[in-house]
Parts: sequence; structure tokens; C-alpha cells
Amino acid sequence: MQRDKFFKEIENLNHPNEKLIKTHCSYCGMQCGMNLRVNTQTNKIIGVEPRYDWPVTVGKMCPKGVTAYQQTNHKDRLLKPLIRDDASLKGTTEGFREASWDEAYDLIVKKFKELQSKYGKDSLSVFSGVSMTNEKCYLTGKFARVALGTRYIDYNGRFCMSSAAGGFLRSFGVDRGSTLPWTDIHETDCLFIAGSNTAECHPTSMFRIWNVQERGGYIIVVDPRETPIARRADLHLDLQPGTDLALANGIVNQLIELGYLDDEFINKHTNGFEETRELVKEFTPEYTSMLTGVAPEKIVRAAELYGKAPNAIVMFARGVEQQHKGVDNVSAYTNMALITGKIGRPKSGVATFTGQGNGQGGREHGQKSDLLPGYRKITNPEHVKEVCQVWNITPDEMPKPGVSAYEMFELMEEKTIRGLYLLCSNPAVSAPNQNFVRKALKNLDFMICSDFYLSESAEFADVILPAVTWSEDEGTVTNIEGRIIKINKAQEPVGESKPDWQIQVQLAERLGRGKQFSHLKTARDVADEFRLASKGGYADYYGATWDKIEKQDGVFWPCKDENDKGTPHMFLDKKFYHPDGKAKICALPYRPPAEEPCEKYPLRLTTGRVVYHYLSGNQTRRIPFLHDMCPEPYVEVHPETAAKYYMEHEERVRLYTRRGEAVYKVKITEAIRKDTVFVPYHFGHEDSINLLTIAALDPISRMPEFKACAAQLEKVEIKKVQ
Amino acid sequence: MKKRLYLELENCIGCRSCLAACTQCGGHEERNRNYVYDVNPLVNRQTMPLMCLHCENPACARSCPAQAIQIHESGAVLSALVEKCIGCQNCTIACPYGIPKFDTEQNLMYKCDLCIDRTKDGIPPMCASVCPSNTLQWLTDEEIENKKKQFNLDNGKWVTSMPYLEGETNVKVNLPGILQGITKLY
Repeated sequence: MQRDKFFKEIENLNHPNEKLIKTHCSYCGMQCGMNLRVNTQTNKIIGVEPRYDWPVTVGKMCPKGVTAYQQTNHKDRLLKPLIRDDASLKGTTEGFREASWDEAYDLIVKKFKELQSKYGKDSLSVFSGVSMTNEKCYLTGKFARVALGTRYIDYNGRFCMSSAAGGFLRSFGVDRGSTLPWTDIHETDCLFIAGSNTAECHPTSMFRIWNVQERGGYIIVVDPRETPIARRADLHLDLQPGTDLALANGIVNQLIELGYLDDEFINKHTNGFEETRELVKEFTPEYTSMLTGVAPEKIVRAAELYGKAPNAIVMFARGVEQQHKGVDNVSAYTNMALITGKIGRPKSGVATFTGQGNGQGGREHGQKSDLLPGYRKITNPEHVKEVCQVWNITPDEMPKPGVSAYEMFELMEEKTIRGLYLLCSNPAVSAPNQNFVRKALKNLDFMICSDFYLSESAEFADVILPAVTWSEDEGTVTNIEGRIIKINKAQEPVGESKPDWQIQVQLAERLGRGKQFSHLKTARDVADEFRLASKGGYADYYGATWDKIEKQDGVFWPCKDENDKGTPHMFLDKKFYHPDGKAKICALPYRPPAEEPCEKYPLRLTTGRVVYHYLSGNQTRRIPFLHDMCPEPYVEVHPETAAKYYMEHEERVRLYTRRGEAVYKVKITEAIRKDTVFVPYHFGHEDSINLLTIAALDPISRMPEFKACAAQLEKVEIKKVQ
Repeated sequence: MKKRLYLELENCIGCRSCLAACTQCGGHEERNRNYVYDVNPLVNRQTMPLMCLHCENPACARSCPAQAIQIHESGAVLSALVEKCIGCQNCTIACPYGIPKFDTEQNLMYKCDLCIDRTKDGIPPMCASVCPSNTLQWLTDEEIENKKKQFNLDNGKWVTSMPYLEGETNVKVNLPGILQGITKLY
């Protein structure tokens, strides 16, 4: 891999009686390189040392990364399987007793068989996540289909990446989160970043992003809040939450009006331009401004800056994707690159900031309700046949497609789904409309949860299985760029904890599927089968061997065989993945958010992350430094809005929507729109903002609209008159 | 080649990774020794690190009645020697930036030693190693000289220096505003 100007040869500090294990962070899609410090006498992880030689992040880490190692030997680790006999205690931490693995497995197998014989194969479900290796993600899909034989498997990518996936599939015919490597970012001339609080959510991108400005390039940020990156941006488009589609259409309108089209590119390599030109005609700067709340001159300026740039990258994240039109938003912003031809070459392209560590790889290999390894479709008989050969089953044994993550809770509530195997996710914090979701979890006949801490979701389980952290297993992860990288094992599992792939093999054997699982004795065995299963799919990992990953500092998929070095830049040959080789410019009519403000709920509520926490906070809330920096959620309110409600900074107030309510401390800041309030979502129980959020799903990605709903504020205590 | 800590305040994103990393150098008893401030929290999200500047003639060391604060040959102003520190806190009061921290339980001062275990061998300090935004960098004098040519502030100053600071410092600080003099590409 080419090393850029930020790369410096630096020796690591070696402390006596320690060794360094090269690996990557456990958290977000940046997958920053890090060395774990391991004491050679106790063989325990004791600290972290920068990994200066990782070409993407050159030693840099955010505060989560610096303290990530503290998860492994944390006092809260689950050391043994736990069983709870009294189902009336579901939803609490009470009533669990320690058990042996055998007892836990026996109980699980007995209950699973009972449920399936009484209510059919599909009475069981698997809800998984993508903060784990490709090997685990792959095997989880196989476990659901082969060992359990259920159609109901889905994963937390539906709350994270699925709109990006849907948008890219529609625009390009392929879903690789970034069309170019991160090492291109600082060399581009204009970054258009929508709905990404990059400085807090992907901090180690920032040194490259700031460098664009230092070189004289431009940064345009689209966000209802003046985030740290928006504060320094050349242009901040402060739109109302949930109006991205109008803004994107408005910018496309201006790119056309101002003459920034690449006609040759449009003619040769795209479809759909004429319909789109027709559709965006009405999105004049004034009309767009009316819909979005962004000043008309800012919309024109954004089009000028992006249009004029010799090279530019359009980037976005959950802000645009977590809407009930998230897929449309993604395709609409992607239109900017397609009509100006700023794609399919170095330093120009489109990228999403992948939220979870393996948000990319984890969505490609069969955890999604309708997907099989290599991004194959479960509805395509050819694809099913190919996978069945690897899995050693017959095509008629392959279950049908299931439903999306949130829809599984609906099926639990109505008792179509009666059993749940939850792993690598904490939906009792991260799913929208929590009052409903928690009721659905409570309604299950039998639930098992695999985790390394007792999460809020584990509180609903009958059996908890102790899993390992990322540092006690090995495997591959596909990072934000589409680069397959290697996670290395630094320590033996604590207590009796086991990696999820091993748990699945052992359960499968007890469920009578040893023939399909018993040969998988190591993570590498799973990796080899997984590469084979992906072979021929368009997310082809076959050539990405662990040795090659080591030698090349990662391998970008697709990587089809031994001699294939991988594909850092997509579409260099201007060939897209639709059958005719062309990309699709999409004509997308605007739709407002599912729930617009009204007299009773006049504010727009939006949610997001803070730099100190990751996802549901189950990991980061337990790390002392991170907890100290952000111990509780808060509601960000503009001072003028706060004054209207007679609210003061740090006062506790009630925030409520049609679905739920919570009490938060007010954080007053001018860095947010007056009509919008913001709450970070990393907190559980009565602090969870997802008690309030809406489960309006995108029709394609089934992504809930976390980013916009109607809310109201209320004082909880009458303050003394001064 | 001698390298220095160099701060570009404009870049700070307030992630406090420098503080987290400060606890991790192996010689800091897992306590962080610097500060990151919200400049105007009710208004915007501007933040800035306040690191020990390792003064050439440090007020902390001059004020110490027990001569507990030593200056390393590299210029790093070290944390108080445990056996000499009498816990009088003169250093904290004398430092124009309030850098030395005080451990009331142990009655001892502690401060940034520029990760001397690392920097004496040319390895960057932990804060500058991890800083995601390049607010903290570890640069040669030549690289700092290039920064000086690159950034022209409209006040004619490119780094903090007299009269803003009490005296010359080993750490170089670039004031907010580095982008003022940049010529745009188009």
C-alpha cells in the first residue's frame, strides 16, 4: 500500500516484560491501527501503544480507541453462562445464576426444539450485529439458515448502514461504502459532507479533512447542528432535520443551472439524467430554501464550490441515512457526483462514513434477512445453489427471506417469533420506539443473549452466554474504505468466555448439524470457508487471504484470486455494476419526514453520537475515562428556544413525543437550529432517547427515522422567582 | 534530529484523546496532566488544548523552594521529584498557565514531562501520537519553519510568542486563524 505524506517511520516504545500485538480498534468503521501491550508474565493486555505504521491512521486514535483495551479485563466481564429460571424477572438484572456451558447448551437446545416442533422452524429468530469479524458475521448467517433453519435473521446494520447500502446498490449496482481509499481524502479539492458529525464519530479522519483546507480546498458541511467540523467549514448548510432530499435536489438543480455538467460522462456512463433534470427543475434555490431552511445563496454557493472543484468527494453518514427516505437521500447526494463526472478516478468519488467496526463486511455475507455470502440474494435460485454447495445442504433446505430488524420486534409482539438468539447488539437501547421493543422482548417465550457484558438487552434473556471481546479472537474486518484488515488475538479468553463462532459450532452440533459445522475448529477454518462462500459473488473475498492482508496492509474487495491485489479505487474503468455497465442518476421526488412538527409537538428531535461513546454505550459507558467525560445524556437547545420555555442551562426538563418521554439536563448552545433539539443515544433504561424516536421505516432499507421526529419540551420543576 | 511539540489550536475538535492518551504512556500513573477547554460552550463548539509549554526559563521550577522540578537536557520541564516535592503548590501558582496539577492525597505536584521516556529516544509523546486532528504534532525545527512560511496571520504573528507569553517556550503554539492567509485553490 502506498504510504502518504502523513506516514512517518517511528519505532514503538517497548516496555520491559511486554510484547506488542498489532491489531485494530474494536469500535467504529475507521478501524484505527493500534498495538495492544501485553504483559509477557501474566499474558494479559495492559495498555495500548500507537500503531504508527498503519497507513490509514498512522498511530492516531480517538479517546475510545485509546481506552478500548480496558474492555478486556474489565470487572464487568461475564465469566460463565448465566441462566434465569424465573421468567417474571425479565427486563431486570435479577435472578441469574451461574451455570456450566453444558447446562446452558442443553437448555437452549431443549427450548429451541420445543418451540420449533410446536410452532414451526420460523418461530426462532437471530438478531445480530456488525461489530464483529467477517468470520463471525458469515457464520451467524449460516447458523440461522442451516442450524436453526429459520428465515428470521437480521442485524443492527438496519439501524446503521442499510440506507447507504440501498442507495449505492440503486445508483451503482454495487454497495462498497467508499469508492476510494481514505488516503485520497486530503488530496481532493472539495469535500461535501452531509449528515456526518465527523469530528466526534470518525475523529481520525479529521487530520486528512483539515488538510484539504490547508491546501486551499473547501469543506462544505450539511448538518442541523454546528458540529466541530461545521464550525470550521467554508460553508455550513444548516438544514432542518429530515430535509436532505430537497437540499440534494436543490444542489443538483444549481449544478445543472450553472453549467457544471459532464455531458460526456452522463451520456456514456449513466442512465436517468433527463428524468432527474425534469424533476429537479422545481427545486430552485428559493423553493429548496423554503423546504430545508437553508438560505438560498448558500445552496447556490455549495453548487459552485462543488461544481468548480477539479476533484471532489461527496460523503455522508447516519444524518442522511437514518430517515424514512434514507435510501433516496443517498442516491440524491450521489447524483451530484454522477452528473458532474466526479467519480471513477482518484481523489473523486462518493463515500459513507461506516458507523460500526465491520459495518461494511458484516452486511455483505448473509446476516441480512435476504442476503447470502458475497452479497448474493436468497431470492435468486442460482445464488442459493452456489451457497448450498459450500454449506453442504440442498437448496430446498434454504429458508426464505425474513424481515428487517425492527419488523422482527413486531413479529415477536404478535408471537410469530417466539424465540430469539441475540448477539453483538443491544437493541433495548439502539432500536427506535423502545416502549414497544422492550415489550416485544419481554413477550418472547425464550431468549438467549451472547455478550461480554450484561447489556440492557441481556436483561430480557433467559440464558446469557459469555462471549469474548475483539482482543481475544482473530479474524478479518472490512473497514470504512472497503479494505479487509486483520484483527489479531492478544490474550486468551477471560473466564469461560468463548468466541461466537465457537458457540455456534457447538450449538449446531447439538442441534444435529455437526456435518455442516464440526470441521470449523479455528477462526481460520471459518475464514477459509467464508472466502469460498463469497467467491463469485460481487463482494468477492476469495483472494483476500490472511497472508495477503498482512503483506499489503489490507486488501480492498473485490479480490477474486491469489494474484488479485484488490480494488482500492472503484469504477476506474467507468464500468458500474448494473447489467448495462452504467450508473443510475435517480429522479427522486421529495417527501417530508414521517412526522412533522405541529402545535402540540412543535420541535424537531434529532439524535446522534458523542465522541466518548460508541453505539448503545454498553462498552464505553463502563470505561472510566469515557464515563467521566460524558456520564449522562442531555438535550441540546438553542438559547432562544430555551428562553421561550423559561429553561436554564443544566436544568432538568421533560422531553416527550407521541411515543415516550424522558428527563434530561438542558445543554444550551447556539450551535444548533432554533427549531431543533438534539439528544445523544448511548444511554439505556429511562435515559434512552429511543423511548421517543419513531419507527417510520425506509421502504427499501427498512431503516428507522432516528434523525427526525416531532417533540415537545416541558419544565419538570417550578424554579423560584429570582 | 531534535523534535518539538507543536500546537495548531485551529484544528482542535475537543475529543480529549490527548488526555486519554496522557494516562497511557506507562510513566504517568494513569493520570492525565494537561487540559482541554471549551472556549465558549454556550455559543459554539470551539475547544483548545492547554498543554505545558515547557518554558525555557520555567516559572514553576524557579518558584520551587525545594528544587524538585528538574529540566531535562532536551528542554522538557519534568514533573516534581517525589522525594523532593514538599507539596507547597508554589509551582501551580507561579505557572502563568496553571499547568502543574496537585494530588491532595499524596501532597505531591505532578505535571507533563513530555513523555520523557518516549521523547528522550525520539518517540513522539502520547498526546501528539494519537491526536486525530493534528492539533498536536511532533515536528523538527525545519518542519516548524515551513509551517511559519505556510501560515500568515493578519496580526503578523504566526505563533504565540512575546508579548503573549511570559517567555520563550520549547513547545511552539500556532494561534487560531491559520487559514486566514491561505490562497484558495479556485
